[in-house]
Amino acid sequence: MTGLEAISQKLGTTAPWRESGGVYWLDPRTLGIRDIARAMNEAHARFVTITAYQLPKDEGLRLEYHWDLDGKLLGVPFKLAGDSIESIYDLCEAVDWIEREIHEEYVVEFVGREHEPLLLREGDKPGVNLREEAAR
Amino acid sequence: MSYRIPMGPFHPGLEEPYKLEMICTGETVTDAKLHIGFNFRGIEHLAETRNYIQVIALMERVCGICSNIHTLTLCQAMERLTNLTPPPRAQYIRVIVAELERLHSHVLWAGIAAKLMGFKTMFMTCFEIREKVMDVLQAISGNRVNYAMNRIGGVNRDIEDPASILKMLEALEREMLRTIIPIFTTSTTARSRCAGVGVLTAAKAASVGVVGPMARASGLSQDLRRAAPYAAYEEMEFDVPVQTEGDVRARLLVRALEIMESCKILRQALGKLPPGEIFVPVEKYAFITGTATSRAEAPRGEVMYSVSWREGSRNPARVHVRTPTYANMPAVRWMVQGARLADTPLIQASIDPCYSCTDR
Repeated sequence: MTGLEAISQKLGTTAPWRESGGVYWLDPRTLGIRDIARAMNEAHARFVTITAYQLPKDEGLRLEYHWDLDGKLLGVPFKLAGDSIESIYDLCEAVDWIEREIHEEYVVEFVGREHEPLLLREGDKPGVNLREEAAR
Repeated sequence: MSYRIPMGPFHPGLEEPYKLEMICTGETVTDAKLHIGFNFRGIEHLAETRNYIQVIALMERVCGICSNIHTLTLCQAMERLTNLTPPPRAQYIRVIVAELERLHSHVLWAGIAAKLMGFKTMFMTCFEIREKVMDVLQAISGNRVNYAMNRIGGVNRDIEDPASILKMLEALEREMLRTIIPIFTTSTTARSRCAGVGVLTAAKAASVGVVGPMARASGLSQDLRRAAPYAAYEEMEFDVPVQTEGDVRARLLVRALEIMESCKILRQALGKLPPGEIFVPVEKYAFITGTATSRAEAPRGEVMYSVSWREGSRNPARVHVRTPTYANMPAVRWMVQGARLADTPLIQASIDPCYSCTDR
């Protein structure tokens, strides 16, 4: 059984891993990010980063979580229903800075953790979107 | 009684601005908090306002030391979005420049570490050798910092006389074997200042997700050149040095040994440089709609680019960079706990931090 199959088995999902753009993607379907993080921990996958995408019009945000498993880059995308998603900081301390950065830039609430003061920028107002600022 | 000592954001012990707020009991650090953001330039946002040529020049400026690896990783991602594969000669040239950059970066770090150890003669020696590496880079690219070597589908400049570069490399390797490696591996000063200092255990290194020499000095054998080879690394034979102690000395040894491995890779790449074109001639780049991701092993560890594009657009829709120091810096908090206050400049320097990269 490959590492990817082992993760699928742990998650109890039949969704296939799809390779695209240098990443092995898994559609989480009904799975939550905390289920994914636990399975990645069990598989000894290394957390890499989260990339946030602002979707066109008012479609909200998409977060792409990335892990490395023996040189394979794994990706799990989550389209946010609102402006919040569960934090995985207690399961994976490597997400600390990137969760804080995304909170700062996009005001995404990572539920279940305290947000420490801003990481990258001066000031106490999160969500200063540079793209919107420049367009104004 | 505990008290707080701030180091930075501007401090002689730091190469660039950042702030380490330490809580001490007597001379012992019990905890620390890191503050970054002093170099924030909004580069990811700026990238969305640049076209596919300009964005390469922009991302080369994310880092002033490993500038080449940023354009290499970005170009690899953009090649996935344009379905272009660089010719073999270009892939070899990419390896050569990447390894020269690793040499330059590791020797520069060795110099700074020597200075922080109070070993100023060694600092001078390292910087003299670094100059020679930069001379080689200048001979290849015409530049000493931002080499402008990478383009979508290949490289901008050829290496017309690999034999002359080999000759320069041999001289460089001789000096490294004569000075840097023996001094760092055997000197009492290096040993007494570094052994058992700033320990990061393998378990903590894995939990924090550190990368590059930091991870390898804590016993984690991870190197993208081996695990997920890019450019021409699949055709190179080299070892991945790993140490298990997790202290500053282990980081010193890993980088010293990596210098020798880089020389080994350079000799192979220069010796086997295949003939042919150095880029794919394209009249107009046709980007597909989608997201592509690329990773490379920078001198400080894994760098990752996620690039998103919409067909017909000249500019990327999104560029996200995860730099190695971004992954490594949070570990400083754990490395300084229990350390002597006087050792903290060396401990934070031992991650070979790049704050400009981190802040972007």
